[in-house]
Amino acid sequence: MAPRLSAAATPLAPVVDACLVQSCKSKSAPFVRSFSSTPCQQKMSRARQQMYQWLKGREGSEFADPKGGPRYLGPLQDQPFPLNPLFRSQPVLDEHTRELIWDKVMGRGESLKAVSAEMGVDVRRVAAVVRLKEVEKQWQREGKKLATPYAKAVMSMLPKTYYREGEKNLPHEPVNEIHVHKLTMQQLFVPVSESRHFTREDAAKAFHDTMLSVDARSPQPELINMEREILEGKTRQESLAKFKEATQKEEDKVARRIVQEQQREEKATTRVTTDRYEFRFKEINADDVGRNGRSRKGTGWRYGAPFDDRKRGLVKIPTSVP
Amino acid sequence: MVVKIRLARFGRRNSPFYNIVVAHARTARNSRPLEVIGTYDPIPKPDPYDNSGKLHKDIKLDSQRARYWIGVGAQPTDTAWRLLSMVGILPKRNFAPKADESKGSVNAGDVRIR
Repeated sequence: MAPRLSAAATPLAPVVDACLVQSCKSKSAPFVRSFSSTPCQQKMSRARQQMYQWLKGREGSEFADPKGGPRYLGPLQDQPFPLNPLFRSQPVLDEHTRELIWDKVMGRGESLKAVSAEMGVDVRRVAAVVRLKEVEKQWQREGKKLATPYAKAVMSMLPKTYYREGEKNLPHEPVNEIHVHKLTMQQLFVPVSESRHFTREDAAKAFHDTMLSVDARSPQPELINMEREILEGKTRQESLAKFKEATQKEEDKVARRIVQEQQREEKATTRVTTDRYEFRFKEINADDVGRNGRSRKGTGWRYGAPFDDRKRGLVKIPTSVP
Repeated sequence: MVVKIRLARFGRRNSPFYNIVVAHARTARNSRPLEVIGTYDPIPKPDPYDNSGKLHKDIKLDSQRARYWIGVGAQPTDTAWRLLSMVGILPKRNFAPKADESKGSVNAGDVRIR
């Protein structure tokens, strides 16, 4: 350790600095970090040397620049960190596939469910991809700079799944997974007469009165219908067309409903523009508060009813976006 | 007793929110009114996903009930009048302070000082 300098020895400081610089032998930048009193390491440590040796060798170079997707150190193929067996790196959709999903939905106007079934991607993921792609395109239109190098670097570290049009592709994930309801996790012994035709609806009823059958809880019941039709003897092409039509119809219905809602809202609103702000008068019904004036459907602050906006244990973060 | 159309302030500190109410004139501001005919949010807000910087104020109003109460002689306060006149329930009124009337100049010759 360098001896501590007393106040009287302050003129010596430059000399000490010069000594340190000499010991470091850094000719290029002589006064960089001159305050450090630790001498620079002359030699590479053994472990470091071995690390470089391993990296240069056959085994290490395979990890450093792998061919066709990343290779992880972990004992399992999808385990990036050898000491954390709980962290698994799941494959993600590659850039081209995401662009294709966006084009299919926004460009060609295919329904989300049809795209999901065709590409083997969950409907929610399809919707999320479309939303994020829209944000990306909006940023591009606004001239915002995208962090493309960062995205490329991250994508190069992740396993990816591909979808190429007109080729035989593996599905990204199962698309018609049914949520395992808590009520169905119990064992039940229901005596049923042999002559009775015990359906899935009956099974659901046995678990709970309000329980829906598996078919009704499936995210894509149209797919099940399609397979049923094929079993009954229709051609795959024919029933696929029918499936596409059904999903398209369903989506159109939702879109129409949203448009109608907007139109109704717009009809009930009067806009008055002043020199400062626009005032939007929305027509309401004063009778909505009900007989005792405490109904939740009523307009405005309610009288004699608690308003729990600051109550403990309630979520104050908005749960939906406009 | 006089029936008024007025605002009742609710909301929190620094975030006012008003009920447009029909109430007897001599009752407390936030007491239970005869009827709530709407709300007025005085804080201007932008539309979601709108970057133009334009702001708007949201008002909910049952115009049929407002007309009825005006018809039976309810007296709107100045603020309530301003809001109701925007949708044509009441005629427009100028609430701005009156401009000073010029008094005319005084001629020294006209004034007689004893």
